[in-house]
Amino acid sequence: MKRKGFIFYLRIYCKILAQDLKSKMSYRADFIISTIGMIFTNISGFVSFWILFRNFPSINGWSYYEMLFLYGFSLVSLTPVQCFFDNNWSLRQNVYSGDFIKYCFRPINMFFYYQSEVFDIKGLGQLAFGIGTLIYSWAKIGLAFTPLMLLKMIVFLLTASLIMIALQNAAAATCFWIQNSFYVLDLAFRFRDYAKYPVTIFSPIFRFIFTFVMPIAFIAYYPSLVILRPHEIPLLSWLSPVIGILFFWASYKIWMHGAMKYSGTGS
Amino acid sequence: MKLKKYLTLTRAGIIEALQFRLSFLVMVVGNMLYLIVVYFLWKAIYASAGTDVVNGMTFTDTLIYLVLATALFNFMEMYTVWEIGRNIQSGKIVLDLLKPMEYRKYLFWSYSGSFVTQFFLTFLPTFIAVAFVTHGAIHMGLNLLYFVISVVLAVSINYSIDFLVGTICLYTESIWGINIMKQVIVLLLSGATIPLAFFPEPLKTIVGYLPFQSIYNAPLSILLDSAPQPHTLLVTLGTQLLWCVVMIILSKLFWKASLKQITVNGG
Repeated sequence: MKRKGFIFYLRIYCKILAQDLKSKMSYRADFIISTIGMIFTNISGFVSFWILFRNFPSINGWSYYEMLFLYGFSLVSLTPVQCFFDNNWSLRQNVYSGDFIKYCFRPINMFFYYQSEVFDIKGLGQLAFGIGTLIYSWAKIGLAFTPLMLLKMIVFLLTASLIMIALQNAAAATCFWIQNSFYVLDLAFRFRDYAKYPVTIFSPIFRFIFTFVMPIAFIAYYPSLVILRPHEIPLLSWLSPVIGILFFWASYKIWMHGAMKYSGTGS
Repeated sequence: MKLKKYLTLTRAGIIEALQFRLSFLVMVVGNMLYLIVVYFLWKAIYASAGTDVVNGMTFTDTLIYLVLATALFNFMEMYTVWEIGRNIQSGKIVLDLLKPMEYRKYLFWSYSGSFVTQFFLTFLPTFIAVAFVTHGAIHMGLNLLYFVISVVLAVSINYSIDFLVGTICLYTESIWGINIMKQVIVLLLSGATIPLAFFPEPLKTIVGYLPFQSIYNAPLSILLDSAPQPHTLLVTLGTQLLWCVVMIILSKLFWKASLKQITVNGG
């Protein structure tokens, strides 16, 4: 089989996306309520953050606005996983019921086809909220604004988002081996909340774990250092794009490995 | 013989829950990881504060409060809203309504089995771990008894709120959005995310008048109070009892009024 090019996949993605949006629009009430629910989630996250900092003006040498920056950074970098990879949550039902077999018979990349089926518009609210937070804290800290910094920001945001995508792919793929992967997925999802704290608060052992085993420190902490503390950037910060790509590639391999050995349910 | 039919459902629930042994393991491991994260996070927060006691809570108090709040959440969360919503969408609700038992009771008792298993397999290990980590900071005395009473009331309030929210699905046919809104509101305003003691003043008073604080804040404050005043104890439990009765009546009335709304497509 000839390898299909990037343009080919982009065209297919747009077609599937249009269908998905059409089907979502037929449940308008559900869409509106879900969007409100998403806004609620973001507001409550912000309120708890605010309450915390009313009691404690700084955490481990990080000021309120710097923490706000980390918070905004994590919100933005977690948007792609919400928007493009939401179908991972249905993977276990598809595998369990046998519906997954339909993906095995298409002449395009399985992983691509499966993930492209769902686009979650709700994530866009989170993106707007995150960008707002970032701009606000950027101004309050008094960081300079140059095109180079903007470029750095975009590159590091994109690669940071790969980490959460990788974690979620790997967690979802466990359902190819164990029956109920919901708890694994939920666990990975819950750790996302801790990405917004500086990894330096942990003891060395857990700093290691959260850097290399469950790399949540790369979702916001390491990449933000490039912008926030330009004079003392550790090597890991510069490496974070590489690590993002590496983890994504590994999770893709795990996912595909599971999918390839899937034998259906016989129905 | 009235109780027997309910206990049969409990038994079935236990057997069903034991089918997913691996998920308990994941949950316990998840709770332990959560304990670690919360431990380091709040340790750093308290270290930056400079004082040992903030808003009347020490570091150990906060740790016990937050970790047990999560353990209680795992224990109490019955995914009622999901269940009702899914049953409405699939049409299975018709079969449940025909059963010679009130739907509200049927749903509760068919879940009660997972209370038993969850208590022994996830809550108890977490409780022991916390007691161990904090070197016996949890006072082992009469307060444990009050705690258990308080948790029973909390389970009932939580279920009534869930059922009330689940009933809304009859009108909206939206599950995810409704559920996330409920979850976010309950977790924030009940003190499960940040102890209510940290809330700024007007907010704290408002939250005190809402039913949510009876779910997590009430049992946990009772547990942490080693020498409770009879007055405070009475007020806390009395408030819980009041909310318990109010929410049961409300959820029953709302369900009764909404049942006429039901439309089932096939089944």
